[in-house]
Amino acid sequence: MTTTETAPPVLEAEDVAVHYGGIKAVDGFGLRLPAGRIYGILGPNGSGKSTFLAAVTRLVPLTRGRLLIDGEEYHTAPPTKLARRGLARTFQTVRLLPELTVLQNVQLGADLHAPGGRLRSWLGRDRPSEAVEEAIERTGLGDVRDAWPTELSYGMARRVEIARALASRPRLLLLDEPTAGMNHSERQEVSELMRKLRDEGLAQLIVEHDVQMMVDTCDHLVAMNSGTLVAEGSPQEVVSHPAVQEAYLGKRWRSHA
Amino acid sequence: MIGWYEANLVLIEATFLNFLLALSIQVPLRLGVFSFAGVGSYGLGAYTAAILTLRYDVPAFVAIGAAVLLAAVVGYLFSLLVARLNGLYLAMATIAFVLIIAVLATNGGELTGGANGLYGALSDLTTGGVVAVCVVVAVLLALTERGPLRRRIEAVREDPELSLSMGIGVVPMRQMAFAVSGALGACAGAMNALLRTTVSPEEINFHLIVLALTMVIIGGSRSWIGAFIGSVIFTWLPSVLASAGRWQDVVYGVIIILAAIFMPTGLLGLVQTLYQKLRGRRSAAVTAEAPADDTAEERALLQALGGESRGGVQ
Repeated sequence: MTTTETAPPVLEAEDVAVHYGGIKAVDGFGLRLPAGRIYGILGPNGSGKSTFLAAVTRLVPLTRGRLLIDGEEYHTAPPTKLARRGLARTFQTVRLLPELTVLQNVQLGADLHAPGGRLRSWLGRDRPSEAVEEAIERTGLGDVRDAWPTELSYGMARRVEIARALASRPRLLLLDEPTAGMNHSERQEVSELMRKLRDEGLAQLIVEHDVQMMVDTCDHLVAMNSGTLVAEGSPQEVVSHPAVQEAYLGKRWRSHA
Repeated sequence: MIGWYEANLVLIEATFLNFLLALSIQVPLRLGVFSFAGVGSYGLGAYTAAILTLRYDVPAFVAIGAAVLLAAVVGYLFSLLVARLNGLYLAMATIAFVLIIAVLATNGGELTGGANGLYGALSDLTTGGVVAVCVVVAVLLALTERGPLRRRIEAVREDPELSLSMGIGVVPMRQMAFAVSGALGACAGAMNALLRTTVSPEEINFHLIVLALTMVIIGGSRSWIGAFIGSVIFTWLPSVLASAGRWQDVVYGVIIILAAIFMPTGLLGLVQTLYQKLRGRRSAAVTAEAPADDTAEERALLQALGGESRGGVQ
C-alpha cells in the first residue's frame, strides 16, 4: 500500500460487531482510515455497510469492538460528542430541514463552533461564518443559498447535505451514498470535490453503490458481505477479487476508468 | 373607548392569559413534543398562587414567581418520567397529568378547598402587570425564533437523529421544553387565579386542553404570533357568536373544522404564504432574466458533458 499508511489513523474501528438479537448485522469488521485518504465500503444491500456507519456515528450501540478517533477511544461516548471531535456525516436519504433555507441548513453545521458563547450567538446578529461561506462556495450553492429545500433538485439537495457537513470543519467525513440520484456530471463534480478535500487532509469514508464512482474516487476499498470483511486493497484489486465479483457484482465487472 | 375597555376588561385580560396558556402547548410542539402538561401546570400555578396569597398574604409577584418556579421544576421532573414516550402515548400521559392535578385539587382537603376550590385570593395584580409579563414572554420567545436557537429547535423537531450527529442534545432540549411549558402554564394559571380571586377544580378540565390546542393549531404552531392570533380569536369568538343563540356551538365547531381543513399551517402560516407569494412574484420579475439564462446555459452544458462522457465510456 501507499506511504501514508504509517501515519496515525483518524478513524480506527477494531473488531466491530453489531448484533440485533440473533441477527449479526456487523460481525468482526474493522478498518484504519488515515488523514488525507478516501476509503470506500463496498457491499450488496444488507451487507452491514449502513449499520457499520451507524455504529461509527454512535447511533447504534456496539455489541463488541473498539472505535477510536485520532487514537482516542470513543465507542462509549454519546453521539452528540462526536461532532466536536471532528466527525461529520451525510445520510443515505436527503435530510434537510424543510423550514430553513439552504443557507440556514448549512449554518446548522457550523453552529457547533458558534463564536463568543451561546448567549451572544443567540442575541447577536446571525451572520454566516467563514466556514459556512466556504462550504457554500465549494459545493457551488451560491445561487440557491436563499432557496427552500423543496425548490431544489435531488442532486442539489445532496450537495447542501455535503455543505452542511463541511461547515462543521470536520477531520473525518462519512458519506452515505453521496451521489445517489445524481446525474453523471453531478457525480463527477462531487467526486472532484471529494478528491480536493482529500488533498487538503480530510479523511473520508464513503458507502456507495456506484462502483465506477468508487473506483474513480477512493484510494482504498473495503468489501463487506454478511457483516464481515471480504476483501481489502486498491480499488482495482478489490473489484476484481473473485469473492467481491460473486457477492456484489454478480457478473464480471470491468472498470471504465 | 374607555367605556368599551371597561366593559370588556375581563375578555381583554382573558386574551393575555389564554395567550400564555397557548404558548405552554406551543413551546413543546415546536420541538415535536405533543404535550398537554402545560394545562396541568396551569392548575398547579393557579392553586399555588391562590394558597400563597390566602395563607401568607404574599405580594402578587412573589405568588406568581413561586408558582412559575414550582411548575417548571415539576415539568422538568415529569419530563424525566415520560422520557421514553413519544407521539400519541406521550400525549395520553400528559392528559393524565392534567387529570391528576384536577383530582389532587378536588381531594386536597383544606389546602385546596376541595370541590369548592378557593375564594378571596385578593392581590395587587393589575391588568398592566399581566400585559407586561406577556410582553416579556413574547420577546424571549421571539428570540428563540431566530438564529442558532431556531435552527436547533427546527432540527430537534424535524430530525432527532440528525440533531445528534450535529452535536445537538435532543433530550436536554426536550426536558427544557417541559420546564418552560410548565412555567408558562403556571404563569397563566397563577395570574388568572389572582385576577379572579378564585380557583376551582372544574377549571382544569378537558375543555381547557381543547381550547389551548385549538388556539395554537388555528393561530399557527410555529411562532408566538400564531399563539397570540389564536388567543384573540378564541377568547372573543364565543361573545361574537352569542348572537347565533342556540346555534353558537355548531357555528363554533364549523369554524374550527373549516380552519383545520383550509389552513393546515394556521392563520399565521396562511398570511406568511400569501406574503411570500406576493414578494416572490415581485422579486422574480426583477431577477428573472439573468439567472434564467445562466441555468439554461448550465443545463445545456451539463447535458452535453454527460452525453459525451457516457458515449465515450460505451
